[in-house]
Amino acid sequence: MNFEGRKYIILALFLGVGIIYSFKLFYMQVVDDTWKHNAEQISEKRREVTPPRGVVYDRNGKKIIANRPYYNLNFIEKNITHLDTNALAKLLEVEDTFIRWRFQEIVKQEGTYKGKSNYRRNRVYAFVRDLTKEEIARIAPELYKFPGFFESPTSMRAYPFANGANIVGYLAEVNENEIEKDDFYRRGDQIGKAGIERYYEKELRGKKGVKYLLQDAQNNATQSYEGGRLDTMAVQGDNLILGVDIDLQAYGEKLMTNKLGCIVAIEPETGEILALVSSPSYDPNLLVGKRNIAANYPKLITDELKPLYPRPLQAEYPPGSIFKLTQALIGMQEGVITENSSFPCTKSLVGCHNHPTAQNVEQAVQFSCNPYFYYATKRIIEQGKSKSIFKDAEIGLKVWEEYLHSFGLGQKLETDIPGVRAGLIPGVDFYNKWYGEHRWAFSTIRSNSIGQGEVKLTPLQMANLAVIMANRGWYYTPHFVRSIGEGGPLEAFRKKHYTMVDSVHYAPVVEGMRKVVEEAGGTARRARIEGVTVCGKTGTAQNPHGEDHSVFIAFAPMNNPKIAIAVFTENAGFGGTWSAPIASLMIEKYLKGAITDEAKEKRILEADLLPKKKQ
Amino acid sequence: MTRNYSLTKEMDWTLFGLYLIMVVLGIGNIYSASYNEDAPFLLDITQNYGKQTMFFGISLFLGFIIFLLDSNFIRKSTGIIYGVVLAMLIMVLFTTPINGARSWFGVGGFGIQPSEFAKISTALALSAYVSKVNIKLQDKKSVLIANLIMLLPMVFIAMQPDAGTLVVFTSFLFVLYREGITYDPLIVFIINQFPGVRIKKTIIGSNFIPILFVVIFLSVTTLLINENEVMIPFTYIPLKGVYIILFIFAVLTVLFVLFVQRFIAKRERSKLLALGIVSAVLLSALVFFVDFAFDKLKEHQKDRIELVLGLKEDPHGKDYNRFRAMSAVGSGGFSGKGYKEATLASPRSNHVPEQETDFIFCTLSEEWGFLGSITIVAIFMTFLVKTILIAERQRSVYNRIYAYSVAMIFFFHFSINIGMNIGLVPVIGIPLPFFSYGGSSLLSFSIMVFILLKLDSERKEILR
Repeated sequence: MNFEGRKYIILALFLGVGIIYSFKLFYMQVVDDTWKHNAEQISEKRREVTPPRGVVYDRNGKKIIANRPYYNLNFIEKNITHLDTNALAKLLEVEDTFIRWRFQEIVKQEGTYKGKSNYRRNRVYAFVRDLTKEEIARIAPELYKFPGFFESPTSMRAYPFANGANIVGYLAEVNENEIEKDDFYRRGDQIGKAGIERYYEKELRGKKGVKYLLQDAQNNATQSYEGGRLDTMAVQGDNLILGVDIDLQAYGEKLMTNKLGCIVAIEPETGEILALVSSPSYDPNLLVGKRNIAANYPKLITDELKPLYPRPLQAEYPPGSIFKLTQALIGMQEGVITENSSFPCTKSLVGCHNHPTAQNVEQAVQFSCNPYFYYATKRIIEQGKSKSIFKDAEIGLKVWEEYLHSFGLGQKLETDIPGVRAGLIPGVDFYNKWYGEHRWAFSTIRSNSIGQGEVKLTPLQMANLAVIMANRGWYYTPHFVRSIGEGGPLEAFRKKHYTMVDSVHYAPVVEGMRKVVEEAGGTARRARIEGVTVCGKTGTAQNPHGEDHSVFIAFAPMNNPKIAIAVFTENAGFGGTWSAPIASLMIEKYLKGAITDEAKEKRILEADLLPKKKQ
Repeated sequence: MTRNYSLTKEMDWTLFGLYLIMVVLGIGNIYSASYNEDAPFLLDITQNYGKQTMFFGISLFLGFIIFLLDSNFIRKSTGIIYGVVLAMLIMVLFTTPINGARSWFGVGGFGIQPSEFAKISTALALSAYVSKVNIKLQDKKSVLIANLIMLLPMVFIAMQPDAGTLVVFTSFLFVLYREGITYDPLIVFIINQFPGVRIKKTIIGSNFIPILFVVIFLSVTTLLINENEVMIPFTYIPLKGVYIILFIFAVLTVLFVLFVQRFIAKRERSKLLALGIVSAVLLSALVFFVDFAFDKLKEHQKDRIELVLGLKEDPHGKDYNRFRAMSAVGSGGFSGKGYKEATLASPRSNHVPEQETDFIFCTLSEEWGFLGSITIVAIFMTFLVKTILIAERQRSVYNRIYAYSVAMIFFFHFSINIGMNIGLVPVIGIPLPFFSYGGSSLLSFSIMVFILLKLDSERKEILR
């Protein structure tokens, strides 16, 4: 038989395969772009360069938030040979078991995809994070004994002053939610979680740079892509200058040692916050880096004295007698009293201490006469516009409420730290809800006239009240940051807010405040400062749970004031006893730079007003 | 015999030229695929390109010796060569495994792979046996022995194990096919079991080997190509991969019809046209059937098949090689990224594993693009067709069988290696002749070609 014809079958086979391959090659290489994209995905790496965050200075140019280099100890498993775990544990000063545990932990953290671990033997992982310069200096020279391990620098925050923790806040790693919300963030990035760091996150974080690189199979960059034509530079975040005086802040924290409470000091002219002390506080450096946060955060959050709680912004206290200032002002503006109005000190109505009858507003403030303000407030609420006392109270309270809102009370003073609270100015709606419509009258709500009742203020609002007194009728929303990069403060902080009380009415009240401090019979004689006219008002907030809270607001000097302040000391009794001298020390420190009355300072520093621990 | 014989006159310089072109291109390509900045000298024998060049030199030297030999000597040594290589195949099983297989004899820094030489020895032995006067590939005993000659080395190669070379050995079935082996009696016997059926001859039985090849090849290709949807060129209409195959069939059928109309004598035309169109329809049906049948399979059966084909797993898992290789080839574009400019199949990045051996085609197509890869396909097609033409002009059956063996071995290496680089064949690790780095493979392919050149040069001298 002749089988020569079979050669055609074989030739056809050859040509068939050749043609199919040519088609496929043409399709893959010329027509279809999919493989080009795949190749790009495999070989090109978009490496984001995170810039250092902006630096933050205080009003005198002192650095209060800085960046400091830290180091991670990394490894690539593939490069590890004969690892001596004992020696490594010794070098890192950890338990032997930690080494194994940590490897397992990393694999676990990487998670799985379709049942297979995402962990890769040829990828870089951080074995220990956030080592200080000192630690790495000890570890690095020994690393040659551990092939596969190497260090890499990272930038982290440092707080040169151990003060103002509630102002600066802290950074932590972004969570899933934050990554999803903002495509700026990648896993492992830092984000401001509180304070200035959080509020000015967008300004501080800067602009990420992007480098396009070609990478090899081990994810190492080999060369820049297209000569770096597409690369962009990372831009460091804006620097911030705060109105805070970090020395004053530190002094305030020192004074408040062993006391619960707050100090808020504001520059009246600008609304810049000079100091915001929340006591007890903590060293912000305790919350730098994952390791520190893991070690210290649980301790801070479970501390009974709540160091993480920003009291000045969030604690709402009954203001006590400092509230009387507003009542006097509203009464005069409404025309229901004049500066020369006099009311008898009728102790049967509401309790009072012994003092001469207040002949006018000035003296009423000076003596802090409770019945006087009872009458004044009664006149504001009961203006006789309706025959029903209930309806009349409702009309009056509406007016009253509106006035107080213009003082920044009962609404959030949106400063540049997130989480401020509004306090409470109980209005018509509030009482209607509480008692029912037309089921309450002045007598029901009279305690508010002397700042007890339902009224609540945050210490920030109290300090702002001092600002209003100092400015005789206006304020800027209190804020921390006086300039962002080259620019000024945020738009919201450049707007003057006027109260509904004309500035003429302030004179007698301010004069009364002067007498509170300066004259015999005043309630805050302890607040006097040699050579400076201080105007102030004490308060004692009744506390159903224990000792009364001590309140004092003040500003100084009387003319052209430079500082307005509120001091709130929990469980410290009468306002003049503790809060007033603390305020005066702060004022003196700020205005003069030094303290003249050392005995006064010593008394404060030695006082321990913490609630006694139950045995 | 040497009286009127002149090697230079009788040698097929075209085939020799193709050989030289391929080896030189191959070395140039290996230079790029395993370029080491610290040792840029081409002849540095610590580097792959240095070694490959050295093996090229050794090959040429061996070729020179082969040319000096009498072809009768080669023919007579067949038995010894076959025996020695077989012994080596057994001995290699006692070495320590490298990468899980006992395939290598280590000699200093070099390794020798006996399985590469087993291809030559089997080709020679098969040629020697089947060309004997009394051997007819229609009687059972002859077929049995011919198959044994092929199967014996395969057994030991399977024990190494080396699946790739095993697959290559099945190429000898085509050689037997050309020499007249037929499965018709078996097929006819089976068909005639149906009551009332009486036939003497089937086209399937007599062409069983190529049909089997086409069915397997097309089924595998269909499954592989069907994995991703394909956009109709220059539009955004997605199509299942099968349609691309059907499109190719249509084009091939049209080409075939045009070819027949133009070059074939009138009386042959209708028969050939019918054959062509019927096979096109049947093949399309096969593609559809495979696609359809796979869809109907149960999930775990699908998984099993996809696992074997290397389709399963995400791009970073087992499918890694295939995905990376195809990305490298596809990203070459029309004219490539430039010599030594590959970003995937480059020694700098190592994205494509084994890019200097099994996946050498990636480096080439990434750097030279479609122009480069189509050139390589064209060179191989020319080489293969040329080898068949040489085979068919032999007066000696021995020579013809040997030439066919060479053609089929090269064809298998070519189609499997390039096929896996472009995702039409599952990843089977065998080298691309003359292009993949590897001393044993370059040596054995060179010797294969030189023996063919030698035998061919004496084709006028001998009969049988």
